[in-house]
Amino acid sequence: MQLRRDHVAGTVMLLAGVLVLAASTDLPFGTLASPGAGMLPTVVIVLMIAFAVLLLLAAGASPPIAATDWTDATHAVRVVAVTAAAVAFYIPLGFIASIALLLFVLTFVVERKPFFNALAYSGGATLLAYLVFGTLLNAPLPRGLWH
Amino acid sequence: MEATLDSLALGFSVAFRPDVLFYAFLGCLVGTLVGVLPGIGPLAGISILLPMTFGLDATKAIVMLAGIYYGSQYGGSTTSILMRIPGEAASVMTCIDGYAMAKRGRAGAALTIAAVGSFVAGTMGVILLTVVAPPIAKFALAFGPPEYTALLVLGLLFLAYMSSTGLPRTLLMAALGLLLGCIGIDVMTGHFRYSFDIKELGDGIGIVPVAVGLFGLGEILSTPSNRVTEKVVPPRLAELLPTRTEWRQSVLPIARGSVLGFLIGIVPGSAHIIASFLSYALEKWVSKTPEEFGKGAVAGVAGPESANNSASTGAFVPMLALGLPTGPVTAVLMAALLIHGVPPGPMLVNEHPQVFWGFIASMYVGNLMLLALNLPLVGVFVTVLRIPYAYLYPLIIMFCIIGVYEVNHSIVDVWIMLIMGVLGYLLRKFDFDPAPLVLGLVIAPIFELSLRQSLIMSNGNWLIFVERPIAQALLVVCVLLLGLSALSLVLKRRDWRAKLAQAEAGDGTGRD
Repeated sequence: MQLRRDHVAGTVMLLAGVLVLAASTDLPFGTLASPGAGMLPTVVIVLMIAFAVLLLLAAGASPPIAATDWTDATHAVRVVAVTAAAVAFYIPLGFIASIALLLFVLTFVVERKPFFNALAYSGGATLLAYLVFGTLLNAPLPRGLWH
Repeated sequence: MEATLDSLALGFSVAFRPDVLFYAFLGCLVGTLVGVLPGIGPLAGISILLPMTFGLDATKAIVMLAGIYYGSQYGGSTTSILMRIPGEAASVMTCIDGYAMAKRGRAGAALTIAAVGSFVAGTMGVILLTVVAPPIAKFALAFGPPEYTALLVLGLLFLAYMSSTGLPRTLLMAALGLLLGCIGIDVMTGHFRYSFDIKELGDGIGIVPVAVGLFGLGEILSTPSNRVTEKVVPPRLAELLPTRTEWRQSVLPIARGSVLGFLIGIVPGSAHIIASFLSYALEKWVSKTPEEFGKGAVAGVAGPESANNSASTGAFVPMLALGLPTGPVTAVLMAALLIHGVPPGPMLVNEHPQVFWGFIASMYVGNLMLLALNLPLVGVFVTVLRIPYAYLYPLIIMFCIIGVYEVNHSIVDVWIMLIMGVLGYLLRKFDFDPAPLVLGLVIAPIFELSLRQSLIMSNGNWLIFVERPIAQALLVVCVLLLGLSALSLVLKRRDWRAKLAQAEAGDGTGRD
């Protein structure tokens, strides 16, 4: 049997539903006359599992998993990694340093733009954003190193 | 009618205040840019800018955010006509004949027809909204918890029925959204649900990190910079005015698109996208020269562009009158009103007339502003289109981080956004539409409250949902929709939704 896109999607959703259902055992379901905190989540998870099963049953009509285009995945992983690093350093380093680094790494390393273009762009855009949000709109941006 | 006109006069007194005018203009300008730029749709634009409205009052906030929504419908046509890239998903159909007109040297005429069609449809939509919304709100005052529960179920089923990705996939996403909406403290019993000792999750998952992640970051991850073209067919601005024949060919499609769009806008679903698709199909069907479609037919630009604008206005009817979001954009706008302490719904007209009528009046003004913005400034927007995407998307990520962090000053929210971005990317790969997830997340608290209140009211008797006439009627429509969906599944019929899915996939960009 050929593995198809909805076999994977349905199985992941089914497993997620079962896992969340297992994590919901401590929530009181209550009674129909006095519904508890666990009633809606349980109903929703059961529905989720049912729809995942429907997806699995009709999976034969979906395209083969091998047909899914993953050529953009490398770029996506790089962007996620750089953004995750910026988020991790957002509070400790502050807005200016973390965002300037984020912009620089994305343009120079990920997009391979010329070094001085990337440097000027990241510095200029960060300072402009700081002026607009931090100064004009008074948004309390994290100061980090400058605190 | 006299009362409506009096209320509208009150609305104009609010809308013409210089500060409200400024925010309407700002919303329209940002909306046009959001529509023009590939890689960022109205939902991402509104979500990113939502935290910036926290310092404003409810009227200014909703006027600005709604301006972004309907402004993006105007802007989306620019990239469709000049680059054959829909800046916004609803402009997919405009690509076909708009770009063909541009290649024939009629880019200016196509842009003018799109802008005038959008203006006429937007204004007609607001007139219909003015007339229709207050009586619906009055009727909805008779709604109790069982009616609201049935209405929300109907909303979700309508969304699933209209979706181009299929009923089980859409309902699966809606269920996932409802489940995410259950995270946090249960307001009725005080139980912590799925918070895993993370105190920030006690208040639940906010709509902003989820919407920005799924639609902003998710879109960027799905759009590698080397696939975004900066090739623009330069418009001959000297030929901005359409010929008399082109005007004549666009009059009826604009009228038909306006009415069709408004009616579809009221129904839950990605109304503006569906409206433009159906309008294109309708125009081709009624045309005496259907062979012209695809080669630069004026009706192929005028109809869909009018329909998507009218639909975006129609979508405000259930939001304002019933407190029911019909799609992710209205869900975020509803969240914006809630954040400002103004709950949308039947009480809005009476309790906050300045917000309700000020908002409606601002849309008349906004449509005029957009007409004035879109035509003379088309050269500026073309210049913006030439910014390389490799420089543009890092800026969007920066705005995403600032926007999400500023909501609660919580870094956990930013992490949630990042996780949702990855989820959005994966969902697209597996052909899931993230919109029902956002809708489920927004309606989860209202749905749970009305469901539990209904059951408590009836002492646990489920029949309360079929004994009350309004709830019963709504549930009958739900059953009909499920029946229709099952029928098309069994017959494996290729209906308009399959064609819509193909059209959306064909553009290769998949904007929200």
